[in-house]
Amino acid sequence: MLELRQLDAAIGNVTILRNVGFMLAEGDTVALIGRNGAGKTTLLRSIMGFTDVTGSIRFAGQEMTSLAPAHRPGLGIGYAPEDRRLFSAFTVEENLKLPVQVAGLGAAEQAQRLERVYHILPELREMAARPAGNVSGGQGKMVALGRALMLGTRLIMLDEPFQGLAPALARRYAEALRTLRDTDQNVALFITESNPALLRSLADRTLVIERGEVTENLLEPEGQGSDRADSTR
Amino acid sequence: MNFSLFLLAVFDGIAYAALVFMVALGLTLIFGVLRILNVAHGSLYAIGAYVTASVGAAIFAAGFAPFLAFPLMLIAAALIGVVLGGPIEYLLLRRIYHRPEVLQLLVTFAVFMILEDVQRQIWGTQPYFEATALQLLGNVQVLGVYYTVYQLIFLPLVALTVLIGLRLFLRRALAGKLIMAVTEDREAAQAIGINADRVFFLTFVVGAALAALGGALASPTTSVLPGIGADMIVLSFAVVATAGLGQIEGAAVAALLIGLGRSFAVYLMPELQVLVPYLIMLSVLLIRPEGLFGRPGARKI
Repeated sequence: MLELRQLDAAIGNVTILRNVGFMLAEGDTVALIGRNGAGKTTLLRSIMGFTDVTGSIRFAGQEMTSLAPAHRPGLGIGYAPEDRRLFSAFTVEENLKLPVQVAGLGAAEQAQRLERVYHILPELREMAARPAGNVSGGQGKMVALGRALMLGTRLIMLDEPFQGLAPALARRYAEALRTLRDTDQNVALFITESNPALLRSLADRTLVIERGEVTENLLEPEGQGSDRADSTR
Repeated sequence: MNFSLFLLAVFDGIAYAALVFMVALGLTLIFGVLRILNVAHGSLYAIGAYVTASVGAAIFAAGFAPFLAFPLMLIAAALIGVVLGGPIEYLLLRRIYHRPEVLQLLVTFAVFMILEDVQRQIWGTQPYFEATALQLLGNVQVLGVYYTVYQLIFLPLVALTVLIGLRLFLRRALAGKLIMAVTEDREAAQAIGINADRVFFLTFVVGAALAALGGALASPTTSVLPGIGADMIVLSFAVVATAGLGQIEGAAVAALLIGLGRSFAVYLMPELQVLVPYLIMLSVLLIRPEGLFGRPGARKI
């Protein structure tokens, strides 16, 4: 469903990603492990269209590299950046609804998607009316996950979601991801992390990124959900 | 300074603040979203004044009803926003968003210079004066001082309406929310599917229309002549910097501060009239470099 081939990405004049190639199938949960500065965030930002790339990014049968960033989420991609990056002037619920309002979905569809988020993250319902600028860092991460879920019907990309979460909240976050997996077997999850231990129980597959190069981690057991594990360096 | 003069200075200050606020509001809105300091904003103000004064003179000479002066201002402002503001953003600014700030400043300055000459070509150097709107509303007596209803009540009322209207638009309307979202975090906004290009265009057109509206509203109170655009852009820069870049309500307070400072200078120390707004700005910036209401590093409107 998502296929990267010979992808190079640069920010300014600095090449960050080199010859990246891998595939994500429907329903995959894939972890991308790498140290700070290895290129994890750049990889996700490249998929969202925020870097200059050469090579190919295909999503759901469509070449995305020539697609403007604003047109990519509408294909069914939800993305939660590393910092929560909520819109602080809006309430939590407004933050959740904005992506589907922008996408122009009908009222019934909007309500249904919001219910899906509240089912997976019930705590968001309680803080729905609070200004997003006033929620704590950990709660903000939950809201950012919820926002990504609103458009992420096919692919959800989470950039270091456990970074800075207190242990209890990290457990709660992982639990929410499991609920998501249980309620939706088709959506693919792509999660970056610097600490591989955190994702071991969640991911079917692990990719490793080092100095901008991605390799399949063959030491990890292949998970149940991943029937395809094609990978080039 | 006797009481009547004091009142006059206050009234002058309020009337002037209302006009400067309108222009500064457009400027700060554009800066908040596009991160470009639009020097050409002054031209849009001047052209708003020229169009309103010259078209007004023509239609009243042709026997049209005087009350049309008011809708004319709105129509002129909206037209200038779309017809001039639209192409400036679409054809010029869009190409330089990722370029250094100095270049952006130079480009908008060039647009300002070009539009100054365009004004001279179209309207010449003779002053235009068309005060039908001002005369229509008459005068009011407040504590023994006579003042025009247009300047004392109408202008502040319009400024307040624009302030509240803009706030409601940004808070409630989807288009307004998109502007807020792009202002706060352009990349996060695009990551949820917001077309930042479209938001930039809309913001610039609205900002340009506000400048033109300021000019249109100013035209009955003053002679429209070459140079008014330059005066206004410098003054509204002072307001925006005093308030803090991107601050909407802050711009209203700063406009009042600077408007009152300027009018009191006119009565007490006329030789300092030009200087006072910048003295106010300077003293604010010396103490709070981010402006009265600005927050360092924050990006909000």
